[in-house]
Amino acid sequence: MPKNTLKYAILLVLLGVVAYNSVYFKKLDEVNATSGANAGSKFDAAAYANTFWTTKLLPAGASSATELSTLISSLKTDREKAFDTYSHALGIGNIRYFLVKGEGQITAIGDNDVTVALPDGESVNLATEYIFGNAARDASGLIKITEFDNTMDLNNVSTELNTIIRNKVIPLFKASTKTGSTVKFVGVIELNKAHLRLENLEVILISVELGAGSKGQGEKSLTSRIQSKHYAPGTRPYILC
Amino acid sequence: MQLTLNSYRPFITKFQSLIALFILCLGISLMSDKFMTVANFWNVLRQISVNVCISTGMTLVVLTAGIDLSVGSVLALSGAITAGLLRNGIQLPSSNLYIGFTLLGATLAGLLTGSGLGWFNGWAITRFKLPPFVATLAMLTIARGLTMLWTEGFPITGLGDSFTFLGTGWFLGIPLPVWLSGIIVAIAVLVTNKTRLGRYIYAIGGSESAARLSGVNINKIKIAVYTIAGALAAVGGLLVTSRLDSAQPNAGTSYELDSIAAVVIGGTSLSGGRGSILGTVQGAIIIGVLNNGLVLLNVSPFWQQVVKGFVILLAVIIDKSNSKAD
Repeated sequence: MPKNTLKYAILLVLLGVVAYNSVYFKKLDEVNATSGANAGSKFDAAAYANTFWTTKLLPAGASSATELSTLISSLKTDREKAFDTYSHALGIGNIRYFLVKGEGQITAIGDNDVTVALPDGESVNLATEYIFGNAARDASGLIKITEFDNTMDLNNVSTELNTIIRNKVIPLFKASTKTGSTVKFVGVIELNKAHLRLENLEVILISVELGAGSKGQGEKSLTSRIQSKHYAPGTRPYILC
Repeated sequence: MQLTLNSYRPFITKFQSLIALFILCLGISLMSDKFMTVANFWNVLRQISVNVCISTGMTLVVLTAGIDLSVGSVLALSGAITAGLLRNGIQLPSSNLYIGFTLLGATLAGLLTGSGLGWFNGWAITRFKLPPFVATLAMLTIARGLTMLWTEGFPITGLGDSFTFLGTGWFLGIPLPVWLSGIIVAIAVLVTNKTRLGRYIYAIGGSESAARLSGVNINKIKIAVYTIAGALAAVGGLLVTSRLDSAQPNAGTSYELDSIAAVVIGGTSLSGGRGSILGTVQGAIIIGVLNNGLVLLNVSPFWQQVVKGFVILLAVIIDKSNSKAD
């Protein structure tokens, strides 16, 4: 056998082995069927956000949100430890998010926020106008980046969560709030680890309960109004009961 | 015997990169206690691995008195091709066929993409006698556009643990990217110092017409060199994609500048024929240490670019002055 023929034969066999181990063929129908909704279908950020809101974020807010007074005092004493213990973020960097809760008395109602005095003397602002960013998505630490095919889908989840807050939480809160009334809330905040500022902390509301002194209806009135207006029986409300 | 500055000149010239690196490390370690730590040492080496891969190919190109501005875009396209094939395969709805790619297949496709684009650069430069600057500048935009088309402008993520192991894994206590770039450097050193191809590369850079008259097939060598540069840019693309577990459409932007900087700082002459792979490695380490140091010292990213620009300028000035002295 000529030397060149042998060389090309070996090369061909090698190429065949590599090709055999490099690609495989399937029927497209089968692939789409096995990979279910993910194959070829577009990611529905609104549906994802709604499910996340009702099944994860609200329960997490009720069960594992950090008391705001505790967080503030912890940040003042040991910033590193406070960030390590209470914050979450999907990316690296100094911007971190916290899932918090608190209660206090409404001292001022502005165009963009409602100021609440906490029992320990601190005050925070509950945002009512500008609801942006990734705080609602990242603060609970329950969303993993690996769930998404691309960052656009991930970012769209933030947009949809902010839309839920903007359209369903804020309007009823704004309509019922009144200076002097008490408020109990769960929300999310964004803090910069490198440039920490604790004055005028802005909380984006996840859920809120207005107590005595709110417009007219009294204790739990806002909750019952929202439930009757937006929810079928048995579904979780946006406002904590 | 009286020693003057001139008597030290050959020594300084020979070890200028190492001396610069030593001074840089000393300066940064005095200003930041986080610099001289084991974790940061591996961090810097892992970060420069990609630049070492690209710069090794760039050195071969620059030694032939050429330049390759397309390496950053080639890196991006190769990484995107690998990620896309691994994640989505190829779907042919008209024939109801799905062609899936294994890790081996997707990786080979990425490497072939880089090599192919590099080959095209070499072919265009030799076939149409185009200045390398122009031909590779065109490839820079072509490859970037193709990356955008392939990815539709979105990152491709979720590539699996076995793929990300390449960029994040360790072997014998050393990060895998460091192993990979080390092997590439070792092969490149052997090729440049011990093979006919290496001698031809230096010969072409030294004097193309003399090399041609000596019987060197200039076109073939140049095409080989640009193909190797493309393949090494693809390796860089695999490392970046694997490390991030994501193929970014804008990956590798301005990597060509870091790579050229490493080559120049490492003492390779932009006019070709003079320089070495090990010099380039030193240049890449200097760039990596400089980047790392500026980050550790909290220098603004805008100032970081200014500082890097001046360092490159200084390196070229020193190179010029050495050439005159020679």
